[in-house]
Amino acid sequence: MDLKLDADELNACVQCGLCMPHCPTFRVTGDETLSPRGRIRLMREVHEHDAPMTAEVVDAFATCVQCRGCEPACPSGVNYGHLIETTRETLTRAGKLTPRWTRLGFFALAHPRLLRAGSSVLAVAGRLRLVPKRFGVPRDLPLRRRRHHTSGTDVYLFTGCVMDAWQRDVHQAGQRVIEAAGFGVTPTGSLSPCCGALQAHAGFTDDARRRATATIAALSEDDRPILVDSAGCGAAMKDYGHLLATPEAEAFSARVFDIQEWLAERIDRLPAVDPLPMCVAVQDPCHLRHVQRVHLATRTVLQPFVRRIIELDDDGLCCGAGGAYSVMQPELAGEIRDRKIRAIDDVDPDVVASANPGCSMHLAAAGVNIEHPMVLIDRALQGTASAGGR
Amino acid sequence: MSLLDRFRRTSNVADPLVTALQHALAPDRVRNDGAERSLASHDASVFEGGVSGPVCFPTSTDEVQRITRIAVEHDRGIVPRGAGTGLAGGAIPLGAPIVVSTGKMNRILEVDIENRVAWVQPGVINLDLSRHLRPRGFHFAPDPSSQQVCTLGGNIANNSGGPHCLAYGVTDAHVLAIEVVLPNGDVVLLGGLDPEPGGYDLRGAFVGSEGTLGIATRIAVRLTKNPPAVRTLLLSFAETRDAAQTVSAIIAAGIVPAALEVMDQRMTVAVENYVAAGYPTDAAAVLLAEVEGLPAGVEIEADRIAEIGRANNATGVRQAASDEERALLWKGRKTAFGAVAQVAPDYYLHDTVVPRAALADMLEKIYEICERHDVIVMNVFHAGDGNLHPLLVFDARVEGTLERVHAAGAEIVRASLDAGGVLSGEHGIGVEKQGYMDELFSDADLDHQNRLRQAFDPTCRANPGKVLPMGHSCADIQALRAVPTGVWG
Ligand SMILES: Cc1cc2nc3c(=O)[nH]c(=O)nc-3n(C[C@H](O)[C@H](O)[C@H](O)COP(=O)(O)OP(=O)(O)OC[C@H]3O[C@@H](n4cnc5c(N)ncnc54)[C@H](O)[C@@H]3O)c2cc1C
Ligand code: SF4
Ligand code: SF4
Repeated sequence: MDLKLDADELNACVQCGLCMPHCPTFRVTGDETLSPRGRIRLMREVHEHDAPMTAEVVDAFATCVQCRGCEPACPSGVNYGHLIETTRETLTRAGKLTPRWTRLGFFALAHPRLLRAGSSVLAVAGRLRLVPKRFGVPRDLPLRRRRHHTSGTDVYLFTGCVMDAWQRDVHQAGQRVIEAAGFGVTPTGSLSPCCGALQAHAGFTDDARRRATATIAALSEDDRPILVDSAGCGAAMKDYGHLLATPEAEAFSARVFDIQEWLAERIDRLPAVDPLPMCVAVQDPCHLRHVQRVHLATRTVLQPFVRRIIELDDDGLCCGAGGAYSVMQPELAGEIRDRKIRAIDDVDPDVVASANPGCSMHLAAAGVNIEHPMVLIDRALQGTASAGGR
Repeated sequence: MSLLDRFRRTSNVADPLVTALQHALAPDRVRNDGAERSLASHDASVFEGGVSGPVCFPTSTDEVQRITRIAVEHDRGIVPRGAGTGLAGGAIPLGAPIVVSTGKMNRILEVDIENRVAWVQPGVINLDLSRHLRPRGFHFAPDPSSQQVCTLGGNIANNSGGPHCLAYGVTDAHVLAIEVVLPNGDVVLLGGLDPEPGGYDLRGAFVGSEGTLGIATRIAVRLTKNPPAVRTLLLSFAETRDAAQTVSAIIAAGIVPAALEVMDQRMTVAVENYVAAGYPTDAAAVLLAEVEGLPAGVEIEADRIAEIGRANNATGVRQAASDEERALLWKGRKTAFGAVAQVAPDYYLHDTVVPRAALADMLEKIYEICERHDVIVMNVFHAGDGNLHPLLVFDARVEGTLERVHAAGAEIVRASLDAGGVLSGEHGIGVEKQGYMDELFSDADLDHQNRLRQAFDPTCRANPGKVLPMGHSCADIQALRAVPTGVWG
């Protein structure tokens, strides 16, 4: 079967295996079929040798979290992200991978009112314990959200879809921090409702391209920086250049920054305050560490505002959230999460900081006390350290 | 049989062997689909032609024993598989044997710091063990460059080495006892925790046996204390010969560095492109030297090495200023094999050892041979013990390349043996190097090796067709063993 893969990208893998321990699904199963080297070999067998697309082969691709932990580990520079995205796109088109009905869910993402209404229903249902626990949906989703307000035109703050519905308080904390550094912020709100990351992940690449085109059109009136506080969205928006392959998309992607990445360069502009009396373990979202590769910024921006930063001793292994992964592959996602929780328990922090809504919800659902770094900084700036929350 | 056909024969064929295995383990821990079997038919070597039978994932000695008994009953071969990073095709199954993956036998069973011993399952990843011991100030000394992924079972089976084995010795020196499931299903303990266990050293025979004497299911390894101080130097040279000479001079000066590693320019460029550790890409060769010990001692030794380097025309000498810098330099060295794909998608390497004094000449010879065969070579090697790793890089898709690569490889081996060297420093013989065994050993040598093999495994069930060349082993018997047609590839 023609997987539409680039022959050179596929052949860049020399099968050395150095990526395998950085793969969460290999780590929890010990099964090479569920490893990057294995998946690449299977792509080759299917693409080059016309091996049949059996259920097992499809499963190998379906179980990939797309955390891209294998990429920085690969000395050959194999672009695994492109390989798996293309493979999944081809399989989805052929009706072998993501069921078509899930497209409905993705449709809602780009329609904020529908999404917020749905989310409020979920919030009520959650409180009434009507949502099965394995879906990993938090039981305390917000019922009401404070409205966005524009404080200036220095930067955009990209607010996205699910995150805006479920974690708008994180956006608002981030906005206050950027404002405290002396910049005026325009939250994008319904101007640009969804970046298309989850669609791209699921193999609905055409939908993702439509979202990308719309996002670029909506935010290209001027060329101010676009700050993103969700690692997954940031990674997707930085990849528009590749996704659409147009000069405008390239130019747009160059304006996209993770909020911490951008703030790290300007950290001196924040006032000196008492640090929160907390030891904070940093849990790097994969799309910040392996894809955007700007995870060190998290340390730079957090350092002045907490007592101590603790590193997890797991080489940034994925937590198993992976967009919709925790819903589609609950069993593996759970085992991967257990491993992460052991790494967290080993260092016994007061709180865990993670800059991606998916990771936060996935880990919070297992009882981890987790906050977005911006929320912690905001709290330190507000001097509400001891009040312990929002 | 074509790959395609192998794939088509998937799990829906109800095979009594598979049924028995699934009954003995659990249905989901015996895989017989085309995908799993195709992966188990490869390792990190370029060898093609492996054909795997069912792949099992046992979790205990008991389960390995059950699998072995079933193999006996069904008269099948049995091949242990660790992480599949072997470079000589050792884990590649021949004749559709049962593959026993240790992927799920990855528990550290017991750590006894007082006696400096740990009991581990064979699937424990080398670096995971050292990482686990780090808070207590210990590590497992053998550090193959693949240590972040290779397993202790594989290390033992190949008697693997690593950069720091220069000072500490290879795997053999760090294994005290091994519990083995023999090819007939018996379980024995080889070696022991006593410093001088009585009787024959069967543990020693097992280390390096490449899966042909049975399957290690529990291993007692020796723990090594982390050194109080470490200094890492990076020396660059305008001539490869100068780097080789510096290595000899350092050893001659009575210094025993923890590691002495050389990379030539092509290799350095590829590595630097990946790690950005500040390796000089304009140098003909770089030497990574590390000394360990008490702080005062390492200072003096580091200074001495720098001095010797300069006396041998080093163009640059740099000392790693921090642990991060040091880690980055090592990351570069340890990912070298993987980084070659930046140049071409395939590599084939030999692993010969030559006397240190012959290193400089041997390198020149390698360049000459490769040029003559029109093959690109990248060199990276454990210079301290003369263990060469010339990587011949190529694109297998280009017709005729593989033949040229093998011809160049054969000449390199011959030249190494002529220089008084040996065939394999650490990667093992597997299927890749079998053909050269005749050149290194006499008929009598090989016959005696085969007798040892037969003592453990009279029917040649364990990893059939490996190590000993045809004609000197029961491999030929194995080749005759009928593989049921229509079920297996
Ligand atoms: C990038 C790279 C760098 C490398 N660097 C080095 C290096 O510096 N030094 C070095 O020595 N090697 C090196 N190697 C080679 C390889 O990593 C080692 O030989 C390693 O020990 C193999 O371990 P494995 O778990 O991958 O074993 P596998 O490849 O799976 O198996 C190797 C052999 O061990 C046998 N085996 C596996 N488990 C058992 C068991 N439980 N009982 C009995 N037999 C068993 C197999 O049958 C096979 O014959 C490197 C390889 C790569 C890809
Ligand atoms: S993807 Fe990279 S690290 Fe993984 S096996 Fe291939 S070359 Fe090695
Ligand atoms: S993207 Fe993540 S889950 Fe997928 S193969 Fe790479 S490391 Fe494994």
